[in-house]
Amino acid sequence: MKIEVKNLTKRFGEKEVLRDISFTAESGKALGLLGRNGAGKTTTIRIIMGVFYQDGGEVLLDGKQLNREQIQIGYLPEERGLYPKKQITEQLIYFGLLKGLSKQQAKESAKKWLERMGMSEYKDKKLETLSKGNQQKIQLAATLLCDPKLIILDEPFSGLDPVNAMLLKDVIKEMIDSGSAVIFSSHQMNYIEEFCEDIVILNAGQIAVGGNISEIKRSYPRNTIEIFSTQADQITPFIIRSVGSEIESAEKDGKSDIVTVKLKNPEYKNNLMQSLLKEGFDIDCFKVKEPSLNDIFVQYTEGGI
Amino acid sequence: MKNIIKILKFEYLSCVKNKAFIIVTFFLMGVMLLSAFLPALVMGLLSEDEEDGENKEKPVIAISSEVYDQALIKSEFESSFSESDIKISKESTDDLTKKVDSGDYEFAVKINDELKFTYITANNSLFSENYETISDVVKSMYTVKALDKYGISQAETDKIMNTKVTFETVTTGTDQSKNYLPVYILMCVLFMATMTYGQLVAQSVVSEKNSRAMELLITCAKPTHLMFGKVIGSGLAGLTQLAVLLLTALVSFGTFSSGMIPDEISKYIQLPASTVLLALLFFLLGYFMFSFILGALASFASKSEDLNTLTSPVMIVLSAVYMIMVFMCTGDMVDSTFMTVLSYFPISAPMAMFVRATMTDIAVWEIALSAVVQIITIYLLGMLAAAIYKIGVLMYGNPPKFGEIIKMLKMQRKANQK
Repeated sequence: MKIEVKNLTKRFGEKEVLRDISFTAESGKALGLLGRNGAGKTTTIRIIMGVFYQDGGEVLLDGKQLNREQIQIGYLPEERGLYPKKQITEQLIYFGLLKGLSKQQAKESAKKWLERMGMSEYKDKKLETLSKGNQQKIQLAATLLCDPKLIILDEPFSGLDPVNAMLLKDVIKEMIDSGSAVIFSSHQMNYIEEFCEDIVILNAGQIAVGGNISEIKRSYPRNTIEIFSTQADQITPFIIRSVGSEIESAEKDGKSDIVTVKLKNPEYKNNLMQSLLKEGFDIDCFKVKEPSLNDIFVQYTEGGI
Repeated sequence: MKNIIKILKFEYLSCVKNKAFIIVTFFLMGVMLLSAFLPALVMGLLSEDEEDGENKEKPVIAISSEVYDQALIKSEFESSFSESDIKISKESTDDLTKKVDSGDYEFAVKINDELKFTYITANNSLFSENYETISDVVKSMYTVKALDKYGISQAETDKIMNTKVTFETVTTGTDQSKNYLPVYILMCVLFMATMTYGQLVAQSVVSEKNSRAMELLITCAKPTHLMFGKVIGSGLAGLTQLAVLLLTALVSFGTFSSGMIPDEISKYIQLPASTVLLALLFFLLGYFMFSFILGALASFASKSEDLNTLTSPVMIVLSAVYMIMVFMCTGDMVDSTFMTVLSYFPISAPMAMFVRATMTDIAVWEIALSAVVQIITIYLLGMLAAAIYKIGVLMYGNPPKFGEIIKMLKMQRKANQK
């Protein structure tokens, strides 16, 4: 299954909030939608969910116009909200019914997800009596209730403590492994890096960069080398002395045992390694330093909006 | 369709299980039971008083007269004041006054002339009818005495004067006199119910918006389904409440007050099944019309506080229609052309056609035509309400202006056509 967003544009009055947004999400994979506040993430998601109409472009499911009634979509809106004065199980069953489950299925599914979220003891409580984080878990249960094939999560980690974030991470991984397509937006780069193969970074309503994370990282110059060694103090002067003409800089990072070397030519990497080994240094690790997602994010979105 | 049923079931149960709703229902049931029970209670207390009184002496009424025959006075006064002892006295006005004041006499009457008397009483109550009764008695004695001169005996005079006329009424159309009271009451119920249950829909929309459950809802179900489900669900809850109250009224009044209502009144409280059915029909039509409007308006409110501002124009219109109906009924203008026009104009039709259908003699096709006009209006309003509901969902902050709403609806229409 493939969800394709093609050339979406959207205006609110005079303001163009989305311009030519395109990306693809596939079964068994997760797509991370990144961007600063107001970049257009939620608007994009709302258009996919049919809450807003796009001014241009289309949303396709396997090449055909997306019919939201034909596919189970699990949606966690940015504006969280269920019925505060209703019993938890009661409202989960209601949402299950609306999603097309039978009463029995809805009951079983509600029970299953409350257990999975560790919320079984609250099943007969009113939602408003729960803490914010726990309400968020109930909201997630409501999202995943219908065993969705497409899961759209808008900022799923906000408001969760580390233990609950871990729980959610496990759940999302399970859903990806079971073949669901997941699209989610987040500011927490570590989570995105952990299970997204593809990312789209939005900036001021446009795609700043998009594609496979590894490929994006590889597209950066691979001329920065990190050398981990207990002899870091001796390595730095050795490099400057022996191969000074081939490098731009060589520094030891503060008190750590890491030497960062910037090469003039990335291809000189192997020569550097050989000369270090020849000298008899004890090296724990020698690797090309890739930019973190955080670096990429900041680079593309700084000064935007 | 399946979704509408699920939604209406949920809405219905939400309403019926709502604490405030339950409390109001029980409160109204209590009021009904009490008002049905009260006459019986009061009468029971009164009759106890009377039982106590049997042991006591009857109050004495003193009559002093030199104009009329004593036997005549006694028989005429006794027939009019059967609860009291009639004493023929020759005391002076001053003596009578003293004895009335000391409580020896309930009251005293000094007949000064054939058609003139002095009524001496300790407390002149506003509600006392003694004055009129004594006048009647004196008048009657005067007649007897006058006719006696022509040789007609007292017995014959009494017979002539107490003759009763019996009559029957044949009404060819609708008997307004019999329908007036129940129609009036039902109209009031119609008005109150439309307003109350319409507000229920508005509240439900606002609370969903306020709790931000709406975004999830509109991605789970179509706005039309949500709107229709909500309106039908709350309407059914309203009908349940009305049914419970009606049943309470029937049972309680049947049990406690049967036979307590005098025939003169009960003949005005005839409630034919057709009137009840018409009330039900026009309640439903009116309810749907107003609750769609209120539901749509409520989708623009972010908080319950905004609701009053948004819905007050509708409430004013509804109240105005009700006032006009009351005016038409009391002013005996239910047959007027204005009323006919109102009975086809969608907003006023539910109440106006109900009044016309029950108080005047109109053809069934007129009722049907008005109902069809209303059903079409309801359908269109329902669709419009659902569209407004959808654009209102994600609108927080100040309610938008009318022009903006129209613009947004147009945009949505355009998007739908794509």
